[in-house]
Amino acid sequence: MDEDGKMTMCGDEEMEQLVNAMQTGAGDELALMERLLAAYPDDARLHFLKGSVLAAAGRPIEAHAALARAVELAPDFAIARFQLGFFELTSGEPARALATWEPLDGLPDGHYLHHFVTGLRHLIHDRFPAAIAALRAGIAANTENPPLNRDMQLLIDRSAEVSGEDGGQVAETSATSFFLDQFGARGTTH
Amino acid sequence: MNRAAATTGLDIVVEPARVEASLWRRLRFESELLCREQLFNRYRDLARAIARRQARSRPDRGVEIGDFEQFAYEGLLQAIDRYDPLRGAPFAAFARRRIAGSIADGAARMNEIDAQYGYRRRVEQERVRSLGAGESDGNALDQLSAMAAGLAIGLMLEGTGLIGGADRTDHRPNAYDSLAWRELQSILVRAVGDLPEREAVIIRQHYENGLSFTRIAQLIGVTKGRVSQLHRAAVERLRARIAADG
Repeated sequence: MDEDGKMTMCGDEEMEQLVNAMQTGAGDELALMERLLAAYPDDARLHFLKGSVLAAAGRPIEAHAALARAVELAPDFAIARFQLGFFELTSGEPARALATWEPLDGLPDGHYLHHFVTGLRHLIHDRFPAAIAALRAGIAANTENPPLNRDMQLLIDRSAEVSGEDGGQVAETSATSFFLDQFGARGTTH
Repeated sequence: MNRAAATTGLDIVVEPARVEASLWRRLRFESELLCREQLFNRYRDLARAIARRQARSRPDRGVEIGDFEQFAYEGLLQAIDRYDPLRGAPFAAFARRRIAGSIADGAARMNEIDAQYGYRRRVEQERVRSLGAGESDGNALDQLSAMAAGLAIGLMLEGTGLIGGADRTDHRPNAYDSLAWRELQSILVRAVGDLPEREAVIIRQHYENGLSFTRIAQLIGVTKGRVSQLHRAAVERLRARIAADG
């Protein structure tokens, strides 16, 4: 916080520099991130990106802490909240994921994250056809985050295999940088 | 998200490495003590395998395999308490050395009398003490029959795969008995499932996994005497259930 008690946010230029460093993967991104976090400890976007990097680096405990911090700082940061819940779901904590996602019910009906959460809720309860339908609707509505579409399509394909339903189009291999691309270079928080 | 044989929606989406990390996170940073038992269960087979290997490679001084397993479990519990999940080394590698060390220490500590007395008899005596430790209401014969029923329930539970539910050997005695046995088994399975959480842990770990009361006390963080009390309460609950349903 600055002297007026407002949160000091990382500027666009620095944010872009960080995202570039993450995309090139030169290995200095964590150091740069820590520097920016020291300067802007209340910037939820930085915590979110840190969570992404740590998740990709196979440090799940710290990744969860960073994602949770992002959501704590910015409860309306929808993509961070979605990803935190998704992280919890992939960690075998479905009840916690559902609780994390609950505030996303406030998103407009047609919002792609709304569809994705609906689909994942169905998936948790083994309602495969309903899960597939909702995830497809989310993919159709999502133009912001193509990598997220690829991952959701993978879940559709697997659901189709398990349930014998038609999964629709076959997706390309999942992006390894699950969080990164969808965040976008400008780093808006929706 | 690599699935070999997913059957549920959750199977499709969970990642094993994250699931384990989640158990460590909740145990260390969120004080969810039940995660300790889950971690113990994940690595129990590792401890058991090390115990078997060590038992084979040592001259027989009368130490039973059950003793080796208890030392291995002790080492595993210590490893769970000392492991730092943030340091990145896999737990199995960290635990292996502790487990082997605990077996070596334990075997050296045992004197000949301990060894002759035998793990099996000590476990049986623990159970008898636990089941016989109640207030002395009713006559001696009633008490004896209650204790006998409790021990019989233990025999039914023990090593039959009853609790774990996985594909195990069929221990049903013969064709005639099998129907009654099966009925009783299904009552017991349901009854164990309905026990309060801590009692269920004790029954599962003692009868299904062969943990002594001492190890269970370490596992759930209470005294051995308390485990004995809870064990008695659990067996009494199971007995009451059989009486009601059987």
